[in-house]
Amino acid sequence: MRALPAVMYREARIRATNVLFIFWDAVYPLGYLLVFGVGLDSAVQFGSGAAADYNAFFLAGVLGMASFGIASNTAWSFFLDRDNGIYFEMLTYPISRAEYLVGKVLFNLVVALVQAAITVGLAWLLLDVAVRWEMMPLVALLVVLGTSGWFFFYAIFAVLIRRNDAFNTVTSVFYFALLFASSMFYPLDPLPDSLRAAAWANPITWQVEAMRWATTGIGDGALVPLEIAGFTAFTAVSFAGALAALRKD
Amino acid sequence: MTAHAIEVDGLVKLFHPRGRPPLRAVDHLSFAVRPGSIFGLLGPNGAGKTTTLRVLTTLTRPTEGTARVAGFDVVASPLEVRRRIAVVIQQQAADLLLTVRDNLASYGRFHGLSGATLQARSARAIEQFGLEECAASKVQDLSGGFRRRVQVAKALMVSTPVLFLDEFSTGMDPLLKRSVMALLREESRAGRTIVLTTQVLTEAEELCDDILIINRGRQVARGDLHALKLLSGGVYELTLTFDEVPAGLAAEVAALGPLRMETTRTTLQVSLKEDEQQVLALVSRLAARGTVRRVEVSGASLEDVFVELTSLEEA
Repeated sequence: MRALPAVMYREARIRATNVLFIFWDAVYPLGYLLVFGVGLDSAVQFGSGAAADYNAFFLAGVLGMASFGIASNTAWSFFLDRDNGIYFEMLTYPISRAEYLVGKVLFNLVVALVQAAITVGLAWLLLDVAVRWEMMPLVALLVVLGTSGWFFFYAIFAVLIRRNDAFNTVTSVFYFALLFASSMFYPLDPLPDSLRAAAWANPITWQVEAMRWATTGIGDGALVPLEIAGFTAFTAVSFAGALAALRKD
Repeated sequence: MTAHAIEVDGLVKLFHPRGRPPLRAVDHLSFAVRPGSIFGLLGPNGAGKTTTLRVLTTLTRPTEGTARVAGFDVVASPLEVRRRIAVVIQQQAADLLLTVRDNLASYGRFHGLSGATLQARSARAIEQFGLEECAASKVQDLSGGFRRRVQVAKALMVSTPVLFLDEFSTGMDPLLKRSVMALLREESRAGRTIVLTTQVLTEAEELCDDILIINRGRQVARGDLHALKLLSGGVYELTLTFDEVPAGLAAEVAALGPLRMETTRTTLQVSLKEDEQQVLALVSRLAARGTVRRVEVSGASLEDVFVELTSLEEA
């Protein structure tokens, strides 16, 4: 079992060369919540008469967006490895392809968990979001699952696509399509049927809805096991895809 | 326990470039490598050397045939193979954002080194490769030659039974190259099997106990240096140094169809496949054309053998 710590150590050393990057990763969701969430909450007066304010609603969306961002950045590091020439050398190291994939995301899971803790803690402290502290283990599980799932998903493309600019285009398309066709920014009930159906087919919705219920109790708790099972299946399929792509190399 | 460090049997590797017919990079190649030997895999560009190495290092799967490294099949047990090899790939490979020391530490950890052992091996590699002054520098700030040093230093700091080197000396200065070659001989004496590809045939000539020349993915010749030179019997290398190479001399020699010819202002260097009498007659004929300062006639070098055998294969 020396492989996973070795991959994780390497990722940590590389990330530690840019402390600003780690800092930004840790606090940017909070910034999003403070700027976007508070602004929108005030503009549409979401809170008046509603069961919850927009900050409470948006908290899970921000956590989902954060894990999505960390996952895509981590997958992009395959390009860094390839540019450095070390990608193919690493494939000759005494590690399995699965260990390479899992090790790569492990350190970033730590960053994602720290980020989630800061975001939830300060949302409670600064924005008066009523956080369900007893559900934090579930939130942590969902952060780990979400970041891993999206990393494996993006890794498929990062390994198969050889051009950095092509990969950036793919991530931009996914970012736009998946984030906006989900319940990340707005509730799904008022949406047209087609858009609502598309959003419910989107794994981000499953992740965010489960996280929303776990953090603030908003949403349908009965659906949470199904959402978690769906996202777990998505993670497993993405992992298998990424593994196949790596083995193809 | 197998008697060979590497066994390759009927290896075929096909690539399928889009819109073009399949490319047979390796074509029924079979060979075995003795443990503790330095094995040279030589061939012109595109001969299939790197593809063969990629199969042996588990980077790509063979289309047909089998390959075993340290007793393990590269397809059935790739991880077991990877646990027993260290690889210097052809392109530069280092974590550019990390320091030299961190690169070594990271590599060592993958190979199970830790604590004092890792420190000691890393310090020794830094010393052996003259990296003391840049040990704390990020690799991105180093020249290409120093980056290559880091890459080779990593492979030599671990003790895997088999070491693969693909064009290891690219970018190295002659002094460092000498000392790395000495290190490789030392490793081989200690029982480590070394497989190398190189375009610098003098390196192979100095280092390898066993050489395989391939072209178009197929074996062209195999043996130690002596055996290969016998395959190329009748090849002579002539070096004539004049005050100034007489006009028209190069064209006259070129008309004889030499295997290789190089001229400078004062020197004519030519490899010919002729019988001894013809060579001596040619030397006296050429010497009569100008003031000769020095004449040197020697048997075939590995380069001559290589040129002759691969040219025959091409023909």
